[in-house]
Amino acid sequence: VLMVVGSPLPRLRTLLQRCWGRMERGLWPGVLGGQSPPWGPALAVQGPALVPQGINDAGESSVEVPSLLGSIVWMAAPKQRRTIEVNRCRRRHPSKLIEIKRNIDVCPECGNLKQKHVLCGYCYAKVKEETRLVRVEIHKKEGGPFNAPTVETVVLYEGEQPTEKDEGKRIIERARKRPSWFVQN
Amino acid sequence: MRLSVAAAISHGRVYRRFGLSPRSRLDLLRNLVTALVRHERIETPWARADEMRGYAERLIDYAKRGDKDERAMRMADFWLTEKDLIHKLFKVLAPRFQPHPGSYTRLLQIPNRDGLDRAKMAVIELKGNPLPPLVRPRRDSEKTLLNQLLKGYRQDAQRAAAP
Repeated sequence: VLMVVGSPLPRLRTLLQRCWGRMERGLWPGVLGGQSPPWGPALAVQGPALVPQGINDAGESSVEVPSLLGSIVWMAAPKQRRTIEVNRCRRRHPSKLIEIKRNIDVCPECGNLKQKHVLCGYCYAKVKEETRLVRVEIHKKEGGPFNAPTVETVVLYEGEQPTEKDEGKRIIERARKRPSWFVQN
Repeated sequence: MRLSVAAAISHGRVYRRFGLSPRSRLDLLRNLVTALVRHERIETPWARADEMRGYAERLIDYAKRGDKDERAMRMADFWLTEKDLIHKLFKVLAPRFQPHPGSYTRLLQIPNRDGLDRAKMAVIELKGNPLPPLVRPRRDSEKTLLNQLLKGYRQDAQRAAAP
């Protein structure tokens, strides 16, 4: 008989425990509808008709339903140990494996590996460093915050002169030779 | 006929959700647009860059109308939190992009961020900026196998055509 009891009132709980105890000991045969034990004639019996209280208390103390958090709840648990074959089938299923990347190429500039749709990490780091140094020069020229110029800017390296296209532009000088990948327009 | 929108269906929604609220999302994108106009190249998560790109290009379209235009000035005033950039927008960027009909920005993906989140990062830059170029335009080399085979085929065809 499955019994799911939430967290009932304490009186109800003790009543249920007593009924359960009585059923288990066969003192309440009418509940399950099974066989009733042979009863002798009530009139001829000298002993008490009702069960004495002493047995009840003794029985109750022995039948202590260990209730966790004051409730009886059945929880799901695995019945059998999963074998290693079954475990392997689940763990190695294609949907759980890491996908193979087929979009890795070699960067034609530096030879490092890169993904086809992503910039090369090495080349980008190179460009990032150079932009940082250019921005340091810009900051030195501007002198302070919120001094954005109202003219275009051009970056010139060592030994370069501004051409006629660079008329009216702000000149930022970098103290090094022009890198091969930064083509002057 | 479904008259109400069920939760957790977002079919057809184009705007991503950022920040703490819609206002916070706009502030976030506004900061990014300001940074882009100031530095002309910024590195940020890809989703933010993608979202910001549309706003930046529309701002430049407004700037192309000229600074006498009331709506253009109000737009620039809202979108650029640093007010010296309004001058830069109307005097530098608008003339730079006057000949182009659209697509003033370039969005390129870079390797994932180094931190714990490994976020998808992108670099967004205005075209025609003075900074060192990110990607070199590659000409197809003569020396690749396919080009050599095509060259040989062309020469054979010429020899056969001219007896």
